[in-house]
Amino acid sequence: MDFLYTYIVLAEIYVLLGLSTNLLVGIVGIFSVSQAAVFGVGAYIVAHFMMAADPLSFIPSLAIAAACCIALNILVTLPSLRVSGDYFVVTSFGIQLLATAVFINWTVGTGGANGLPGIPPPDIFGLPIETNQQYVLLCTAASVLGCLAFWLIMRAPFGRLLRAIREDETAVAAAGKNVLRAKVSAAALAGAFAGTAGGLYATFLSFIDPFSFDLDASILLLTMIVVGGARTLAGSIVGPFLLLALPQVLTLVDIPTTIAAAARQLIYGLLLIAFMLFRPQGLAGERL
Amino acid sequence: MLALQLLVTGLVTGCALGVVAISFSLVYATTKIFHVAHAGIYTLGGYLAWSLMTYRVPLALAFLLPVAACAVLGALMQSQLYARLERRRATHLVVLIASLGTLAVIQNIIAAVYTPNILQFPLNWSSRMVAFGPVRLNWTQLLTVAVSVAAYAGTMWFAHRTILGKRIRAVASNPMLADITRLQPQTVYVYVIAIASALVCLPGILVPLDLGLQPYNGVTPLLTATIAMIAGGVGSITGAFVLSVAIAVLQNLSLLVMPGEWSIGVTFFIFVIFMLFRPTGLFAAAR
Repeated sequence: MDFLYTYIVLAEIYVLLGLSTNLLVGIVGIFSVSQAAVFGVGAYIVAHFMMAADPLSFIPSLAIAAACCIALNILVTLPSLRVSGDYFVVTSFGIQLLATAVFINWTVGTGGANGLPGIPPPDIFGLPIETNQQYVLLCTAASVLGCLAFWLIMRAPFGRLLRAIREDETAVAAAGKNVLRAKVSAAALAGAFAGTAGGLYATFLSFIDPFSFDLDASILLLTMIVVGGARTLAGSIVGPFLLLALPQVLTLVDIPTTIAAAARQLIYGLLLIAFMLFRPQGLAGERL
Repeated sequence: MLALQLLVTGLVTGCALGVVAISFSLVYATTKIFHVAHAGIYTLGGYLAWSLMTYRVPLALAFLLPVAACAVLGALMQSQLYARLERRRATHLVVLIASLGTLAVIQNIIAAVYTPNILQFPLNWSSRMVAFGPVRLNWTQLLTVAVSVAAYAGTMWFAHRTILGKRIRAVASNPMLADITRLQPQTVYVYVIAIASALVCLPGILVPLDLGLQPYNGVTPLLTATIAMIAGGVGSITGAFVLSVAIAVLQNLSLLVMPGEWSIGVTFFIFVIFMLFRPTGLFAAAR
């Protein structure tokens, strides 16, 4: 039963990340492979504040993490988005590699490659969250809130503006809208989602290491969106639940443990190619 | 003296990086595809050469066969993947995601076949040192410089003096007009990616000859090369090569003041500076 709870909690955390990725990649059409880096920054910041000598409680730490991720995304996306979408590809690979370098090498702050153990469980206004059932409730609440926010944003004029940018940037600019500001706002919003997910992830596992937030993790996130379906709420929910089940299915097949990780990533790669060739709208999405 | 040694090592690394940048620039300027899977071809070349060398295939063949294999793989990638996507009028984003998927596939096939651990080439001459006054280099590094400069010169000659080179530049500058005048852009794209894949295979073998092979080691050089290409000005072969050398030298000199783990930070910092002050690059053609 614990196994099922863990699966649900992780899938719900990834739903938040999926929303974040979908906002950037699906809705605005900006390619990003740095979502895992932002996710990691959120996780490490929450861990830092909750383990400090004078610890903060969960909600303020989460708020600080989300704010930092928003600021980070604004800072890094602003220069490259000003120029061209392709240059953002470089930015996003750059942030991802840079973040991994920081997570691994800044031993004082992040525990280095060994990771950061002993992150305390969260509490909601003094009410501690310790059992798995409580966790499922917390993460369900968080992901429902996330989905609601996503749905509302997509219905709002801002959401329509973002979709319009994806269709025809020049037309939007000609209509007098500030394209750059909208794109950077979308990136900031994606940062807030990813940062929150990071905080939930860190406190749930009580241990984080750099390898949960590397380029492979970013590719997994992208695969979730591509398989689930871009640009829709349903897609952002279907993708994480399906792809997180995949490692369990793989354990049924007899693969040597040494190549299990490579085999998993290989499947993600094949899924990306196959969906782009044959079904660019994913299972429950719209055409990319 | 350390500074001098670092400067020279930077020049060597920069030459190898320059070839990666040239090859990526060829693909990007012509096809407009952000060919991320190029990093996979770079890595694959080194692994193929390693396999051939462990089976004691003659050295010249162990260099040339991987180059040919990479060229074929590149051509297949264009004709089977990118061209199909193009026919379906896929957006830029879709092509990019497919390219990233291909990168993941190549890297992880390598990791599954050869294990993710670092591999060293079974050669005894490659790490033998030669001293030039206070500076010491090994044979691999000398070979890298020679091959890279030759590759640069060869690419320049090819692009400006041969019919195919001119055809590629014509397609790069205006695909629509090239199509009307029957230069067949789609065929040219296959050639371009094949040539670029063959080119990137050279540093793909030479750099690991010195530093060893790892399946996920292709992304950082490609990213650095891309930054060099952008900083040099997209479409400029000389710009890409010169800026690669400059970035590698700066990276190496930064070792004087900070540990090597942060060199990706230095590269990225250079990129942001260019984005802010000269986004068209130093050698940008007038547009």
